[in-house]
Amino acid sequence: MTIRNVRDHGQRYRPRMACLKKVEALVLEMQDPKSGVKSQTQRLVITTIPHAITGEDIVAWVANRFNIDAREAQSIATLMVAFGYIYPLQDHKRLIIKADTSLYRFQTPYFWPAQQWPAEDTDYAIYLAKRNIRKKGVLELYEQEHYNNLHKWMNHKWDFIVMQAKEQYRAGKERKKPDRVVFDCQERAYWVVHRPPPGTISAMDYGLERLTDPNADEVKKKKTMDYYRRIVIFTQQCIMRSRVKSSVSLGAIVKYITTCKNHDPFLAMCLPSNPWLTDDTTYWELNMPNVEIPTKMRVERWTFGFRELLSDPRGRADFRLFLKKEFSGENLAFWETCEDLKWGAAATMKDKAQQIYKTFLAPGAPRWINIDGKTMDITVKGLVHPHRYVLDAAQTHIYMLMKKDSFGRYMKSTVFKETQKKAISPEEHKFSDAQLEQNAKKRKPNLSPIVLRQREEEEKARLAASGPMDITQLCKFTAPVPHLAVYTGICEAQLSHGRERQPPSPGFPTLPNSAACPSPISVAIDSTPASERKFEGQGGSAAAQFPSIAEVPLETRVSASARGPDESQLASQKSRVALSLSRFLRRGCGNASVLASLSPKCHSAMGGRVQPLSREPLSQPQPKRIANFFQIKVDIPPECRIYPIDSEDEENECTSRVRGTVKEIICPWESITKQDQAG
Amino acid sequence: MDGKVADDGGRGSQKLLEEVRALVETLNKVVACYHQLSSCVGGSTDSGQLRHELRQTRERAQQLALDSRRLLTARLRDRSLAPPTRLEAELLWVSFSSSLELLHADMCKVFSVGQNFPLSSNTGVLVQTGMQGETAKVTARALSLSEPDLNEAPASMDRLEQGELEAEKARVDQMIEDMEQRVNVLRWTVEAQGPQNAEPVGSGSSLALLSVLQAEPEQHRCKRGQMFVAALVVSLAAAALLLSVGVLYLG
Repeated sequence: MTIRNVRDHGQRYRPRMACLKKVEALVLEMQDPKSGVKSQTQRLVITTIPHAITGEDIVAWVANRFNIDAREAQSIATLMVAFGYIYPLQDHKRLIIKADTSLYRFQTPYFWPAQQWPAEDTDYAIYLAKRNIRKKGVLELYEQEHYNNLHKWMNHKWDFIVMQAKEQYRAGKERKKPDRVVFDCQERAYWVVHRPPPGTISAMDYGLERLTDPNADEVKKKKTMDYYRRIVIFTQQCIMRSRVKSSVSLGAIVKYITTCKNHDPFLAMCLPSNPWLTDDTTYWELNMPNVEIPTKMRVERWTFGFRELLSDPRGRADFRLFLKKEFSGENLAFWETCEDLKWGAAATMKDKAQQIYKTFLAPGAPRWINIDGKTMDITVKGLVHPHRYVLDAAQTHIYMLMKKDSFGRYMKSTVFKETQKKAISPEEHKFSDAQLEQNAKKRKPNLSPIVLRQREEEEKARLAASGPMDITQLCKFTAPVPHLAVYTGICEAQLSHGRERQPPSPGFPTLPNSAACPSPISVAIDSTPASERKFEGQGGSAAAQFPSIAEVPLETRVSASARGPDESQLASQKSRVALSLSRFLRRGCGNASVLASLSPKCHSAMGGRVQPLSREPLSQPQPKRIANFFQIKVDIPPECRIYPIDSEDEENECTSRVRGTVKEIICPWESITKQDQAG
Repeated sequence: MDGKVADDGGRGSQKLLEEVRALVETLNKVVACYHQLSSCVGGSTDSGQLRHELRQTRERAQQLALDSRRLLTARLRDRSLAPPTRLEAELLWVSFSSSLELLHADMCKVFSVGQNFPLSSNTGVLVQTGMQGETAKVTARALSLSEPDLNEAPASMDRLEQGELEAEKARVDQMIEDMEQRVNVLRWTVEAQGPQNAEPVGSGSSLALLSVLQAEPEQHRCKRGQMFVAALVVSLAAAALLLSVGVLYLG
């Protein structure tokens, strides 16, 4: 709703209009009676009007003036017409120069386009009203539309507009006939330039408005010391910026272009046909995000780099399949959940972070990922106060892992080769003109984005439901199972014997030698009911066998016994106990005494082979390592080395057993709060 | 004027409004004439005479503006106006301020074009716009003179005039600003009472002359031709029908 004209005294500067001054100078040169363009008279029915110029004269003059060829001269002349400095007398709607005998005339300076003043709506309304006055129904469709719109929003001025139109019409009548004709032509040409018919490209399309005049000279600032100092600092900083050798950067550009040249729809043919050009959407249908069979070009793009593969949903699905076969799907799953955290809503972030920790990062997590100690430490520390980018370090680590390792194998895998073989390469469409028109008529709008989003959500839910538990890998050390403190040694021993059932790695609450004070450990034990259950599962039978455990303050066992036993677990525990014991005995390790001293041994055993029993001193560094498992719970400074688990080794053994167990993994911040409460 | 209002009450205010209306219409007329004249600046008919005429028109316009402003502000400041009169006054106000803005815009343009095409310099070129005739009649209309004033303008008016024009421009600008501040008329509440399309005045357009050369108006001629032919055919058919009926009748 225009209340009034913005009277800004020409302070809206439209930068693309800065060239107008040059065109004006050119037009003035053309006026020169000696060296300018030759003019003729235009003959009309009853009168003649002077100062008409032919197109070819204009073009020739421009070519002569600038010493350029005819084509360029023609485009410069067309520019002059497009800006409105010259208007055609015949075919007034098309603002181009025809280099023949068609006539043109110069526009009066009053109607020249000005950088400071855009063409006003009020004037336009008056002009249209005037035309209506002259002859009813002579307005074009778009002009009529404009007129109606203006009537709507300049309604308060409408009386004035009509009155002014009448007055201008009458004033115009006071002039002689040829002048009237000329004036009408001028006005009409002005409005063709400034209110072009829809669909035409207008030279008045000027982009954003600016507050400073690009043509104006810079204000002369007083060059003080401060001014020069600032310039010096600025240039110094410019020099200090790190630069890349142009050979390097250009090499990268060249490499990128050569690889991606054929995939660019502007540079190469789009198979089967570019929908924007032919209105045929086959190309989009073939390249939907979750299409069954991708196109050959798409598959080729995946080979360009890991990022391409991941960013394409179909490629990612393929990669996911491959990882599933390789049983390292949790890497990709972790990466995806990290992305989700980064881009997701802020409200759910805390829960998501917790979820991620429980699923991927905690020791004993069902889909434990393999990241190094430092990263794990940073991440876990950050998770105390989660924010969007808390998992960035871990995510990058996993990304590089996938890129360096899995991606290469994927490229050589059968999954990829299958996909490559099955990929289709559609034929190029060859539409005739009639078919193109038909296609244009049959255009229909896309599905609403809401529907698409719903479909996406459903897909995601389906994926999630179908099992994050594909084949998950299990860490040896996933569940802190106290009694298995003894087992680790055995596990190791077993490892050395070959692939056998390996109980999940224990936490080591029973270590009397652990540097940490027992109470936090006991608290940790408290907070892990699973382990307690296992613990409790030992029950009495364990007691005799594990005097080391007996060393643990009684309260734990009391608390443990307070919990209800889990029968199945009991059985499994017992069997496990029996089995490992038997193995242990087989090894010739001895008795309870041996077992007692085994607990420190387990630490050492963790490192590798089973150590000889008398390796006490070694236990010292070990407790720290063991204690590192608790660091998460008890906030002991870390030097964690979580041992990489070979997925193929683990999953066969551990799946069956671990699936049965219910592990409750406590997030560090939760345990800390419990600690505070308990303590 | 104000005393009159106080004495005559409604009738006086009505008469006052009529006066104001006449003034505003005259101002409109003058602004329209100024528009016509200003389109010639820098063109082939530009001359000292033109500038002189412009100046005269401008002066008249400003005089009218001052008068109507005085009256209108007085009217609108008066709180005791009945709503219908107030609405009319507001309408007039909108017309008045719009014409003043148009005048201001035209003055700005004339000023800047005049700077680019100074008449006094010898090397100045004028754009060959095709205009030939004089604009004396337009000025006469603007000044409400019955005969065109054929006095020649003094020669060296040019530079003086530019300076004056600048001052006048600033003055008009100031007037507009003052108006906005003094009178509280909410423009968007003003509703126009006239019709959307003005009634067609006059018979042919001057552009019809060009229809000989151009393609589009041929449609009109074609339409007329077609109608003519259609009418002819219809009359022939009617005649044939009559004849056949007559033959039948007779036969």
